[in-house]
Amino acid sequence: MRHARQISMALLCGVMLATWTGVPAGAGARAASYKQLQYPPLHEVVVPDVQRVTLPNGMRLFVLEDHELPLINMSARIRVGSIYEPADKVGLADITGEVMRTGGTTSRTGDELDQQLEQIAASVETGIGLNSGYASVSVLKDDIDTGLSILADVLMHPAFRADKIELAKVQQRSSISRRNDEPGEIAAREFGSLIYGPDSVYARTTEYATIDNITRDDLVAFHQRYYGPNNMMLAVWGDFDAAQMIAKIEQAFAGWEKTDIEPAPAPQVEYDWPATVNLVARADLNQSNIYVGHIGGLRSDPDYFALTVMNEILGGSFTGRLFKNVRSRQGLAYSVGGTYSSGLDHRGVFRMGCQTKAGSTVHAIQAMIDEARRMTTDEVTDEELKLAKESYLNSFVFNFDSTSEVITRLMTYEYFGYPEDFLQQTRAGVEKVTKADVLRAAREHLRPDKMQILVVGQPDAFDEPLSTLGSVNTIDITIPTPGQ
Amino acid sequence: MRQRDRIYTTRRWWLVLVLLVTPASVAQDLARFEARLTEFTLDNGLKFLVLERHEAPVVTCYTHANVGAVDEGKGITGLAHIFEHMAFKGTKTIGTNDYEAEAKIMAQMDETFDAIEAEREKVGGPDPQRLAELRERFDALQQAQQQYLVHDEFDEILKRAGGVGLNAGTGADYTVYFVNLPSNKLELWMLLESDRFLNPVLREFYKEKNVVMEERRLRTETQPTGKLLEDFLATAYKAHPYGRPVIGFMSDLESISRPQARAFFEKYYRPSNLTVAIVGDVDPAEVRGLAQQYFARIPSGPEPEPVVTVEPPQWGPRRVVIEDPAQPFVLLGYHKPNTNHPDNAVFDALSDIVGQGRTSRLYRSLVRDKKVAVAASGFQGLPGDKYPGLFLFYAVPARGHTNAECEQALQAEIERLKREPVTPEELAKAKTRARASLVRQLDSNSGLASQLTFYEVLTGDWRNLFRQLDRIDKVTAEDIQRVANRYFTTSNQTVGVIETTTGDDSAAEGSRT
Repeated sequence: MRHARQISMALLCGVMLATWTGVPAGAGARAASYKQLQYPPLHEVVVPDVQRVTLPNGMRLFVLEDHELPLINMSARIRVGSIYEPADKVGLADITGEVMRTGGTTSRTGDELDQQLEQIAASVETGIGLNSGYASVSVLKDDIDTGLSILADVLMHPAFRADKIELAKVQQRSSISRRNDEPGEIAAREFGSLIYGPDSVYARTTEYATIDNITRDDLVAFHQRYYGPNNMMLAVWGDFDAAQMIAKIEQAFAGWEKTDIEPAPAPQVEYDWPATVNLVARADLNQSNIYVGHIGGLRSDPDYFALTVMNEILGGSFTGRLFKNVRSRQGLAYSVGGTYSSGLDHRGVFRMGCQTKAGSTVHAIQAMIDEARRMTTDEVTDEELKLAKESYLNSFVFNFDSTSEVITRLMTYEYFGYPEDFLQQTRAGVEKVTKADVLRAAREHLRPDKMQILVVGQPDAFDEPLSTLGSVNTIDITIPTPGQ
Repeated sequence: MRQRDRIYTTRRWWLVLVLLVTPASVAQDLARFEARLTEFTLDNGLKFLVLERHEAPVVTCYTHANVGAVDEGKGITGLAHIFEHMAFKGTKTIGTNDYEAEAKIMAQMDETFDAIEAEREKVGGPDPQRLAELRERFDALQQAQQQYLVHDEFDEILKRAGGVGLNAGTGADYTVYFVNLPSNKLELWMLLESDRFLNPVLREFYKEKNVVMEERRLRTETQPTGKLLEDFLATAYKAHPYGRPVIGFMSDLESISRPQARAFFEKYYRPSNLTVAIVGDVDPAEVRGLAQQYFARIPSGPEPEPVVTVEPPQWGPRRVVIEDPAQPFVLLGYHKPNTNHPDNAVFDALSDIVGQGRTSRLYRSLVRDKKVAVAASGFQGLPGDKYPGLFLFYAVPARGHTNAECEQALQAEIERLKREPVTPEELAKAKTRARASLVRQLDSNSGLASQLTFYEVLTGDWRNLFRQLDRIDKVTAEDIQRVANRYFTTSNQTVGVIETTTGDDSAAEGSRT
């Protein structure tokens, strides 16, 4: 049985709804130009109706039957994150999230879980990110009881065995030692640090010292504090009967006590608009990694729709201005792009970037800044606006082409406090955006004179000294050794 | 920051297979699948595979060209990939407002480019003044062409129609082009894709080469593992073109001309060398009608010849060292037969046992128990599948541990494979996991399109996507032991390592862990 409500694409996309009759398009005659083509109406999009249930222990469920394949998947979000770990123990959230699963439960070791799951080609994984914890299950339908019981066990009764904590620390220390191996990784990390500040929860990094500070007791306490049924959402989709599945889940988590934690909202970002030029000097690089930008915004900002259109025009993959001018017209870079990102719970980043040969570094920086500036000085063209909007609206159907997408999106909106029809609101908002809106939003949110510029590269080989862009701050990326 | 193309470096079989849970049902699954799949070949030799999936009104359109870097000769490395970039630059009617005028300028650019190359190669060195004049003329022509260009029109048309995931990729064996569209835009794709391979205009060729050179700097020259892989393959292969990088050598990228690219296109982009998969909410009869209307007009041509060079046997171990500020890395490779050899399924099972998941041998030994590595695995599919490739083992040493320790630990596991049979549990797990990952691949139009064309072209029949499962099911512990003993020998081995150059603190601090 599949609960489904039919939402026509007439509502969703502004195209005519009709039943596809199967008459070949352009039957018999080859169109000479794409401009002559007439398209048949799109088949209906069936948007499945996700069932919402809150269990007596407070756990919120999202349930969706999908009988196409003999599979069942689960995805959980727990209100926790590295934003809640202490500054001297950066890495605590990550290690806790990992060892919950690898360290096994009070009744089964992690190795036993590995064995049990891999023999049936299943997986149960856990982790903690910046602003949410996650857990996932993927099983063939007949193995759901095994998968669900392991999920419940690792969430409720993780044992945090010492050997797996040590293994996680080996991995963490190795990542630290390797973090300067790839120029792209250096650039992304240091740019985040410039925007949010090196001590910000949104940019700070693990260090040998912070890893050394973390003890098993910290893991146990961190888990105990944040993990409880009323602090968790669980989505489940696949080949099952919904009522039976809800009963199974309720039973699996029946013994779990509510937690009284009310996690603080995500910290907001202070930003004082510095204009800076920064260099990570690497003598061995013949290509520069460049980022240019400043702080971004929030998804809840009313300008989000206009900014969505602006992003398409400025940085939209192969058709945006950055791609056209920096790559297609000037041949300066293979990969170039830029996005004003709007975070769900804290401000995102406005970031443009490319990699270009050392000898065109300053030129490429100026070309990207010029594109940002042009967004704030002139209206976009009718053609650009049309392309951006049509592309968004015509590709809207791809928001509904997989069950997992539909159900996890709903859970994400709920987790971050957005209305469940936020996607439809965005579509409606994008449809109304005008050229004047794009210019106004660009003027409001982009500050081409307040850019932070970062280059990872070989300064002796640059086309012009970086100092032509402003006073240069050299960033030392030496990895602090333990004890420092 | 999406990128135009992917260079395929690995293709693991478990991304590949499909279907059911119990061993007996492969034939059944295949039959069920066949009912939804329609295949037909146009008179010019172009083959279509059409798979119906009506779950959502979308479709993946996927063209697999049976040409890759392996088909390049000396001096033109990187050309298959450059052509892939050029296939987004338009046709006689797309990307231009006056093709005739533009063509004249492009011909003059070709002549000038040849003159520049001739001057550069002159015995005794180029005349700087003459070179400067030629370059000035070239730049002026490039500028003059601009007035006739409609930049990125091909991308814009598909994007406006709601296309997502428009991209392409070049590997050693093949070049693929793909896009996902709302299913009512099928005819648009038919029109654009047939025009793309009927009337391609390699416009802005010389400028796009600069983009490709940046791609080489990005993927190879500034990436420690990129450098290692390039040198590793060049060492493992002395004769076969699998030893040459897909991205091409910088000097070749500089000297390749537009007429060379045109000749490469004429030779390899024949309809009989193309296979198209259409997967999604479509009516096969309609697809066939449209294919006939749009693709039948591409003229047929002679079959391009395959690569004749066979890599001679290796007479002893080979070793490559990359000196780099980056942390250590170790790679072990052994020559093995191509994808159609009966041992291929054995290697598939073997790679699961040694390299996949926390219960795999390499994870348990190197990562969990010895803690000498943070990651270790083994897989096949590199550099390609069409000709004899390599089975690769790698390890990423943990902080404070060395390549030598990891190499030794890898070697110990390889010796164990040769010495004793794998356990029944390990083998059963590999087979179960093969089946399950098949099922998990079934809900993606683009994944199916990729696998169907891969099997159709490289093995001659898309059904091998399913039959492969039977072959894995027949693999025995003795097979694995035999294969390990036969191929994992010292004389068949190439080792590659990144050795960290001193001067940073990380090497020194290693002793403290």
